[in-house]
Amino acid sequence: MKSQRKMKAAVFCLGWIVAILWLGFPAVAADKENCLMCHKYPFVGRIDENGKRHNYQVDEASYNHSVHRSVACRDCHTYITKIPHDPVTEEVNCANVCHTKPPFAQEKFSHQKIIDIYNDSAHGIKPDDSPEAKKAKPYCKFCHLNPLYTRVSEKVIAFDETLRRCLNCHQAKGVTQAYIHMTHRLRKKTTRSPQEVVQLCAKCHQDVELMQKLKVSEEGLTAVATYNHTLHGKSVALGSQETADCISCHASFAIHDIYRKDNPKATVYKDNLMQTCLQCHTETNSWFVQIAVHPRTKREENPLIYMAGIGLRFALYGSVCSLVGLMLLETYGRRKDGIKFLLRRGTSWRGKSKRPPRK
Amino acid sequence: MPGEPKKQNHPIAAFLIGFIFAVLTLVVFAGVIHHLTISHHGPQLLKPLKDKFFPEHKSPILEEAKRLEEFEIHRHFHHIVEYPQLPESERPVCFICHSDFPHTKNKKVRSLLNMHTQYFVCEACHIKEQTDARIVYKWYNPYDDNPQGPFIGTSYDPETGNLVDVADKFSKLTPFFQKGDELESAIQKQDAPLARDYVKIRDKLTPEQRDGVKNKFHVSIKEKGDDCKLCHAEKGILDFKKLGFADNRIEDLVQLNVKGMLTKYEVFYLPDLFLAPESEKP
Ligand code: HEC
Ligand code: HEC
Ligand code: HEC
Repeated sequence: MKSQRKMKAAVFCLGWIVAILWLGFPAVAADKENCLMCHKYPFVGRIDENGKRHNYQVDEASYNHSVHRSVACRDCHTYITKIPHDPVTEEVNCANVCHTKPPFAQEKFSHQKIIDIYNDSAHGIKPDDSPEAKKAKPYCKFCHLNPLYTRVSEKVIAFDETLRRCLNCHQAKGVTQAYIHMTHRLRKKTTRSPQEVVQLCAKCHQDVELMQKLKVSEEGLTAVATYNHTLHGKSVALGSQETADCISCHASFAIHDIYRKDNPKATVYKDNLMQTCLQCHTETNSWFVQIAVHPRTKREENPLIYMAGIGLRFALYGSVCSLVGLMLLETYGRRKDGIKFLLRRGTSWRGKSKRPPRK
Repeated sequence: MPGEPKKQNHPIAAFLIGFIFAVLTLVVFAGVIHHLTISHHGPQLLKPLKDKFFPEHKSPILEEAKRLEEFEIHRHFHHIVEYPQLPESERPVCFICHSDFPHTKNKKVRSLLNMHTQYFVCEACHIKEQTDARIVYKWYNPYDDNPQGPFIGTSYDPETGNLVDVADKFSKLTPFFQKGDELESAIQKQDAPLARDYVKIRDKLTPEQRDGVKNKFHVSIKEKGDDCKLCHAEKGILDFKKLGFADNRIEDLVQLNVKGMLTKYEVFYLPDLFLAPESEKP
């Protein structure tokens, strides 16, 4: 009897311990406040007064694979102070200080540094910008979705094998996260492929009407088209991962420091060109850097390039067509000599020559 | 014929090499012709002909829509995951007029109510009770007479704490009228062609005509859906256990367990707040 009661008590206590552990350690660390209770569903959303659809879903699995996965919702959405919250009118300020303190750092994390660089760049909104420019200039969210962690190619770094070596000394949980964090950024300059970078920049810069409104230079108006004409543009279009995209030349490793080319801070300022080209072309000299990366090919703008282009085209088409012509003539002559296309009985000289016999 | 030079054959290798060169040259030639005539990179000599015989249907509206869609992607910082939808022919009529997001009016709950349409048919909350029948709820799948689950949101993945991803994306909780032993679906009659026609011409109808059509589709439909508390309660109208919900999931649904929220937020009024819209509150 007594033992049975003891047993019951033990089971009861165990039950409580399990329950406390269960509740105390929610598996999704970033969502301590359980915002995903509602936001995980695909149909949390509404249609607003203007007929625009808003979808407020935050997919659990995607978020947990994103670079922000350990940032709590309210570190960014600071304006949510009660539940259920009112319709949101504020935008997230990407310069907010998160409650996450990165390793090796004394301060809590913030994007402020890169935002300062960005605000100073050609894309940052300046007080004397026209209203159109203010509206058209992209802010963080235009280019950046919540990026998902990607691995560098296993050919370059065998992910699991290298990680296994870290585990010899470090605890799996922390170091796996740190390792993913770093390998995600082991790229030339950007995590995005050159194709994605070109596509992203082209979204606005290809829009000649918009660019005219923003009063970009004559060269800037056609920047995408002229880039696409060059070797850089063509090899990116053909899938190259090594070729220079927009960011490769227009920004330093800070990536956000894009300036007009007459600004001495610009990577494409005339005095900085050598340094910029040297990133890939190790044999650069002062002649090399003068080659136009956005060449104008129209006759009125650049007669020399135009004529050279025509010349090269003639050389290519001419030589291929001559070669094919030669083959045709040769075949014609041989046929006249009585040569057939197929070997039969050990010879192709089976026909009768149509040429008059030689004397 | 004496004196005629001997007709000697090339060695076989010469034929082979000649053949390879001929193929290479012709491939390059074809490339050049392609470049000259239709490629985007060349002078497109054949473009006028192509435009004449195969006119491309360029719709400025479609292009603009596509452009806007691309920009829309930039608005969604968090990745929106495509959720499979029933094909247009299978969707309940309610969606034709009310769209995916039917609730728009009550600011506090509209998004939350829309969220429930992923796993409830509209009638689950909106059907009028009948005096001679009890309502029971079951999972219903238009493609499967007797869906076995597991169903959406019925259990957690113990490792991640996320809802378990399920293969069955179309089953929804559906009310049935129980009359004796008979179960009769409470899903309303579907006259999809009429509903679609209504959407097309609704701007031409007078308010009275509109009401007429509306009444046709809302015969047993309540204006206000069920209260939160009818379901999110210990003894609610849903038998969670029988519907396949796991125990820890039931606990959360019954309490609408918002762990950290309780202490951290200034005000906490889930779910009683929703019993009446704000305007009707004293
Ligand atoms: C032919 C189009 C159409 C179809 C089909 C339709 N509705 Fe409606 N519904 C309307 C219109 C129009 C209104 C009035 C909206 C308003 O006043 O803002 C309405 C209003 C409602 C309302 C609010 C009550 C009211 O009187 O304003 C509810 C609830 C509703 N519909 C539910 C449903 C459900 C459930 C279905 C499917 C069984 C359905 N509707 C199918 C057109 C339709
Ligand atoms: C979880 C229960 C629930 C489900 C499922 C549900 N509704 Fe509702 N619906 C409600 C409640 C509650 C209200 C009253 C909201 C209020 O005004 O406070 C409502 C109101 C409405 C209204 C009028 C108010 C408005 O916001 O426009 C329409 C129209 C409507 N529902 C259509 C639908 C349709 C169509 C579906 C199926 C896709 C559906 N509902 C499914 C609970 C539900
Ligand atoms: C007809 C019954 C019903 C009504 C009415 C209803 N709910 Fe629900 N609700 C459910 C069910 C069932 C689920 C879980 C569905 C699933 O995940 O499969 C749910 C899920 C939820 C969740 C997500 C909980 C979680 O942990 O995933 C929230 C929040 C919620 N409901 C809030 C509300 C509010 C607020 C109302 C009133 C406006 C309401 N519900 C009305 C049945 C209902």
